[in-house]
Amino acid sequence: MNALSRRQLLTLGVGATAATILAGCSTPGTTSVNTQPTLPPADGPIRLTYWSWLKDLQKVADVWNAQNPDVQVEVSWIQGGNAGGYQKLYSALAAGSGPDLAQVEMRSLPEFMLVNGVTDLSRYGVQQYRDRYDETLWNQVSFTGGVYAIPQDSGPVGMYYRPDLFEARGLDIPATREEWFAAGEVFRDEGSALIDVFPISDTSGFAGYAGQAGATWFRADEDGWVIDMADEATLEVARFFDRAIDERIVGTSYNPYTPAWFAAAARDEVASLVSASWGDALMTGISGAEGKWRVAPAPTWSTGFGSTYQGGSTAAVLATSRHPKEAMEFAVWMTTSQEGIDAMIANSGIGWSPARDIIGTAREGGSEFFGGQSYNTEVFQPATQQQNPDWSWWPVTQQTFNILADGFRRKTSGGTLVDAIATTEAQVIEVFRNKGLTIRKADR
Amino acid sequence: MTTTAPRASARPEARRRPRSTAVSRAPWILLAPFLALFGLTFLLPIVVAIGQSFTSVTREGLFGEAGVTSQFAWFDNYRQALEDGNFIASIGRMFLFGIVQVPIMIVLCTILALLLESAAAKLPGLFRAAYFLPYGIPGVIATILWSFLYVPGLSPIIDIASSAFGLQLDFLGAGTVLWSIANIVTWTYTGYNMMIIIAQLKAIPTELYEAARVDGAGPWRIARSIQLPLIRPALVLTTVFSIIGTLQLFAEAQLLQVVSPAIDSQYTPNLSAYTTAFAYNDYNVAAAQSVLIALVAFVLSFVFLRLTNRSSK
Repeated sequence: MNALSRRQLLTLGVGATAATILAGCSTPGTTSVNTQPTLPPADGPIRLTYWSWLKDLQKVADVWNAQNPDVQVEVSWIQGGNAGGYQKLYSALAAGSGPDLAQVEMRSLPEFMLVNGVTDLSRYGVQQYRDRYDETLWNQVSFTGGVYAIPQDSGPVGMYYRPDLFEARGLDIPATREEWFAAGEVFRDEGSALIDVFPISDTSGFAGYAGQAGATWFRADEDGWVIDMADEATLEVARFFDRAIDERIVGTSYNPYTPAWFAAAARDEVASLVSASWGDALMTGISGAEGKWRVAPAPTWSTGFGSTYQGGSTAAVLATSRHPKEAMEFAVWMTTSQEGIDAMIANSGIGWSPARDIIGTAREGGSEFFGGQSYNTEVFQPATQQQNPDWSWWPVTQQTFNILADGFRRKTSGGTLVDAIATTEAQVIEVFRNKGLTIRKADR
Repeated sequence: MTTTAPRASARPEARRRPRSTAVSRAPWILLAPFLALFGLTFLLPIVVAIGQSFTSVTREGLFGEAGVTSQFAWFDNYRQALEDGNFIASIGRMFLFGIVQVPIMIVLCTILALLLESAAAKLPGLFRAAYFLPYGIPGVIATILWSFLYVPGLSPIIDIASSAFGLQLDFLGAGTVLWSIANIVTWTYTGYNMMIIIAQLKAIPTELYEAARVDGAGPWRIARSIQLPLIRPALVLTTVFSIIGTLQLFAEAQLLQVVSPAIDSQYTPNLSAYTTAFAYNDYNVAAAQSVLIALVAFVLSFVFLRLTNRSSK
């Protein structure tokens, strides 16, 4: 009797645990917080949590905490994006125990929307802050009338270059891609350096170029997604780099900011790099490079815009937040107040601030590393005014980039980037359908 | 049982019964902690994964904001996994890897074991420890260490090859990086497999060696006719482990991705399942891929065991 009950208990215990775990394993994100009634503002002191991979963000929150005793923000560090942070966020969302705020990359925001993981802030009055933000970035967090995150940082693209290497070959700094190509030929013929590298395995850079040339790969229509990857602007960029790789103007064996790239840059084998404003901190990692680099506007395509945004992240109010309004207000303070932005630059080294009028005190003056050049106000601030305002992210961005990279890798064995674009478009349509989403090709 | 037993023997039976239930209960109580953990962390995940692999999700609206439904999908996720050229290519890549790397490693570790166990070996203890040492280094660290020898601009090997011999080595290119990974794996596991074989060699009775020597057998003959046949079980074991290990290759490819653009996000089967689950959030197809990987590993090990059993008869 005694034995039986004990065994029964054990069976019951295991069974109950198993049932709980199984229940937790049902596909998460099936209910949307954005169709439920809005949550009222708190009536007493509250504590918000923010999961982010920015370093020392707690110090930024402490500035806010000192002024807002009733809304205390506590920051927990997670790993960056797909390196582990998102996995943690997704499982927390599935378990219903997520933080109030989480750092989510611009391009990953739709993926979080796909699991119903973020709160629509337009229901909490976020539109009143709209004019504080860069228009392009605001568009990238807005979908079908809702606003799903607060832009936190980004990176307008410019061109880092070595004036000494260009002068030694009698070259002017290229302003267009045609001039860039001609300069690249001179570098190749001389032989000791290349003008730039083309990352075949990280296609987010290519997507940025396409957007700069005027492409808008995805559009969210009321009746479903519209894909337009193989438009003329994208194909022009693809043909251009097909030619640049074929004629050995750019290298493809390593990507920017990898150990091999840093080693090559330190040996004066890299003459320039088209990259985002946040690259400035990374450039200081090139040994012996102090004072050697300058920044110029990105070379332009025959169509499109002067620059493009690359990378960038948001502060998203998660669906599990009990205090979405307060969380939103903290995020707005952090990203648009002078003290918030200055604290984020000083402590966390964020990318370009999404605020329309404030770039941050530390970024107003000249930089010793770039030979005293005030590159932020000279190059990157004007670049924020020359953006493709229609670019929008989609729910399978990472997968699209990977599929595109798989196609680009075939470049080394006889394929072309142009072919890769066409096959990627077809595959991505299939991916959307497998996810149960509606998609159609743009009419052209 | 006791119900059919004659009445006379009922008393002793009755006295024995509580003891026998106690005896039969004891192993279960002792096993309970193990069984609970085994069930929760091993059996249950397998059951859940198989269940997930037969489920699919449909969404209404741009992001599923208008409703998400899951339903039983039969083999649709398996179809998606098998139609994915990159996933199939990753399994093919591991076949190629296994056909080349596993035999090389097994031959190498057998030779090392035989040399260290031969009478002429100097300092066998020291060398045994030295060969085994790489296994003590975690795979992640080993890959980082090796990547410094592979990356152009940092690698002394590439520098010396190009300055002294004019050779342009590329360890991380599309055609070479698989063998750079094979090199890391061989370096890590040869010593470990060698230890298994040495353990088996030590179990060979000395009388056999003495008898062989009396019969005039030299070291070569002893290795061929006595040692190799008797370490056969160890060789089979290490080969099966290596086949399974090959299919589970993950950390090396994942880490070298950073320095080698040739490694895609689905380079090995496990990397493919990982990417599908955690980068694409498609747990159902990832579950189907995992089940397929397990099946392939099972079939390969089974075929190998069948082949070795047949040839020994």
